[in-house]
Amino acid sequence: MCGIVGYAGHRKALPILLDSLKRLEYRGYDSAGVAIVDGSVQIAKDKGFIANLEAVVPDLTGSVGIAHTRWATHGPPSKENAHPFHDCTEKLALAHNGIIENFSDLRDELKARGHTFRSQTDTEVIVHLVEESYKGDLAAAVRAALARVVGTYAILAVHADEPDTVVAARNFSPLVVGLGAEENFIASDVPALLKHTDRVLYVMDREIVALTASSVTITDLEGRPVAREPQRISWTLEDAERGGFEHFMLKEIFEQPQAIHNTLLGRMTEVDANGFFREGFRSVKLVACGTSYHAALVGKYILEEVTRIPATVELASEYRYGPVPAELPLVILISQSGETADTLGAAREARGRGCKTLGITNVVGSSLTRETDRTMYTRAGLEIGVAATKTFTAQVVALYLVAIRMGLERATLPPEEANRLRDELRALPRHVQSVLNQADAIEEVARAYAGARDMFFLGRGINYPVAMEGALKMKEISYIHAEAYAGGELKHGPLALLTPETPAVAVAVRDRNFGKMMGNVGEVNARGSPILGIGTEGDKDLAKFVDHVLWVPKVPDVLYPVPVSVLLQLLAYHAALKRGCPIDKPRNLAKTVTVE
Amino acid sequence: MKAVVLAAGEGARMGPFTASEPKVMIPVGNKPILEYAVEALVENGIHDLVLVVGYRRERIQSHFEDGGRFGAHIEYAAQGKQLGTMHAVWEARAQLRGPFLVVNGSNLVDAQAVRDLLDAGEGPAVLIAESEAPEKYGVVSVSGQYVEKIVEKPRQPEGNLVNTGMYALDASALPVAESLINEGHYDLPSLVHALAAKARVRAVRTKGTWLDALYPWDLLKLNAHVLNEVGDLQSGTIEKDVTLRGKVTVGDGSRIRSGTYVLGPAVIGKGCEIGPNVVVYPSTSIGDNVKVQAFGVVSNSILMDDVILGPHSTLSNSVLASGVRVASNLMASSARADAQIEGEWHVVDPLGALVGEDTEIRDGVAIEPGSVVGARCRIGPLARVRGNVPSGTNVM
Repeated sequence: MCGIVGYAGHRKALPILLDSLKRLEYRGYDSAGVAIVDGSVQIAKDKGFIANLEAVVPDLTGSVGIAHTRWATHGPPSKENAHPFHDCTEKLALAHNGIIENFSDLRDELKARGHTFRSQTDTEVIVHLVEESYKGDLAAAVRAALARVVGTYAILAVHADEPDTVVAARNFSPLVVGLGAEENFIASDVPALLKHTDRVLYVMDREIVALTASSVTITDLEGRPVAREPQRISWTLEDAERGGFEHFMLKEIFEQPQAIHNTLLGRMTEVDANGFFREGFRSVKLVACGTSYHAALVGKYILEEVTRIPATVELASEYRYGPVPAELPLVILISQSGETADTLGAAREARGRGCKTLGITNVVGSSLTRETDRTMYTRAGLEIGVAATKTFTAQVVALYLVAIRMGLERATLPPEEANRLRDELRALPRHVQSVLNQADAIEEVARAYAGARDMFFLGRGINYPVAMEGALKMKEISYIHAEAYAGGELKHGPLALLTPETPAVAVAVRDRNFGKMMGNVGEVNARGSPILGIGTEGDKDLAKFVDHVLWVPKVPDVLYPVPVSVLLQLLAYHAALKRGCPIDKPRNLAKTVTVE
Repeated sequence: MKAVVLAAGEGARMGPFTASEPKVMIPVGNKPILEYAVEALVENGIHDLVLVVGYRRERIQSHFEDGGRFGAHIEYAAQGKQLGTMHAVWEARAQLRGPFLVVNGSNLVDAQAVRDLLDAGEGPAVLIAESEAPEKYGVVSVSGQYVEKIVEKPRQPEGNLVNTGMYALDASALPVAESLINEGHYDLPSLVHALAAKARVRAVRTKGTWLDALYPWDLLKLNAHVLNEVGDLQSGTIEKDVTLRGKVTVGDGSRIRSGTYVLGPAVIGKGCEIGPNVVVYPSTSIGDNVKVQAFGVVSNSILMDDVILGPHSTLSNSVLASGVRVASNLMASSARADAQIEGEWHVVDPLGALVGEDTEIRDGVAIEPGSVVGARCRIGPLARVRGNVPSGTNVM
């Protein structure tokens, strides 16, 4: 989602604009830019984070300017397509949120009149329309330009000949003015303003605003003045962003049906991967760190089950410095941020070895996309809680889609099987919702286990890495020491650690491993450890052998990781809540690990 | 000005459609009912909203978040027990100063209705509208332009003007509300009576939209209403030999296959696969990620997200909740029907099938008009369904 901010005042505009942009950062973006009136109108912009922009922007001293974060719609994320844009005279700069529907007609027309287009965006047509209409009054020129435009917009513009003024216009895309003392602000959303003022004016559709340090003038599209009363904002930033949830982590756990839905959307019929998977490798290696590594471990089972192609998994930090075998696998690199240092290093290493590479990331335009041959995006939206939740399940879902495509291209998965699996995937958001609907029951169980010092998580087959992820969540946010074991490994050592003080969580869903898993449950039971069983709805046996039981809906074996993970996330969350832990910011942990 | 939007109720009378969603989140025209109220308020310059949430509050919060996407700023107040509308407003008291509006989030309201209430001027007011079924609402007796009394669900209504559940109030009424709550009164009409005893409460009539969904079949009425406003923005892939007549919106990544004929108004969400050779009649809403396979005929129906309607299925005046999966050859045609909700019988003309979320329907099933199938049922091949099927039932 795009963000837009403007400033007219007495202070240096650049740092204020960059700081305000960061307040809108949580909505996601792929490039950023700023224009400052400093004698002439100077523009600095770049692809990627606002930090990238800060690195390239010269020290501009002007006290009037506009800035923008872009989320690509027309034209890919790039420096050229980042806002703001200059007109042909380079006296005007303009930034825009929204979509211009008649841009291709307008562009042809403007090109015919000799305008040069420097980007693939729809926005640039407005820039040249304003340029043509400009006769010494920027607000009038914007008004004249907008008469030609069909679409949605929030626009900010500055002009070298009116160095004190920012002009803004709105149709559908939000815009709000912040009133300061001898300075005024404008932004697409209130959080960008809150640091500076709590007095705001909301701009309505089809209105134009001219902003200077000492005045705010609102007019309609016919140029008639509009009176507007200021309103006072009574809320804080952090509250706003959590949208009614107690923690970002909880918000993100509950966003999973939508995140999975978005990751699946529009790709169910995407069977043509242009033959990327058809040849060039005989096995697959999945490489990642942390929670993404657990997604990779689940991915190994998914790929082998769906495509029958052998798959192995390695930690990025191990892979990049490890031995170089003779065979060249397809290397799939998974990183939520696309900026994880070890994963990027591993991607370079894989390419250096001559492997085909595929990146899976949640951030459009992140470094991983440049270090791999192909990118698959998870569309989970921005994740703020340090403990990964929705990005993990979205990664697993992306791996299902990769497996289906690979299986079809390698002809190891019959098309009717692929169709059946796609139909099952379609139901996945609903299955996750049905786990979320049991949040109260999960909370009650979590409270019962929150006092433990150590915990064990057990799973078999595809649910073994799910148990590992469950243990990681428990460790990182509740600080309970938790270990995961494959069911069959218990008797090779860990049984020695089991006591009545060490609860165990057993993933005992009705898949092909159910019988074996019940054997392990018996082993744990015999040591007197309290057991929480995660079972399949309708199972009548499990409850007899465990102390607590929580249910997930019946799904095909290969899909269990998603609903079970969601259940384990809620378990960790409520255990941490009961223990009073700082859930969104656990000690010693950072969201994106950009160091090696 | 702020607005308090009441969105805490479960909506038990909505049958299987509130298994996972609160009533306000049921989609019509591919948007939750509540979103229309939020838009109507924002369009009138009311950006600061307090949503009073309760049942499945996370669904509301996940959709609306901080309101930024809707041009609003949204705060949330939790109503633990859904005792009544005044109690709900009371739960939002910490966020209320000065004048504010109260809007019932499960009603479909438009910007005109909000504007009528805003234009009424200072002091408390109740928005009233004509109703065809006044006995189901609070019937408002008006003297001049003021409220005389509100009689809840009278057997013999003295007129057809009813309380829309939209109010203009002021924080100064909160102490009155508090004392009423202490006496065991929980609904806003009792506050209106108390206020009217001291000063006058305006009765403001609206010609704007105010539609209420009391029962699941009312969703079809709301859906048809909002589809009148639908645009005709088509993205995705429209194959050769597809006919789209009237206003038809098709979302990103959807594919409409050859030979499909869509008569608007209709809205088709994102990532859908429709056809080949499917016929869609007005007024139909098809959610995201929906598959309507070959030779399907769908008319005046709502298919929520992730529905799969297998080949050769006929569906009319019906609602399929999210995740319903039909193998093939479903026959859910409509007629004048007796439908039962919460033990009460209703005659609805016409009505097809109402099917709850994640129900799986195998090949060749016939559902009789007016049947209500719960959530997560399994209906076996060639079954004939009549009447009500409770959630989780296996029908052989």
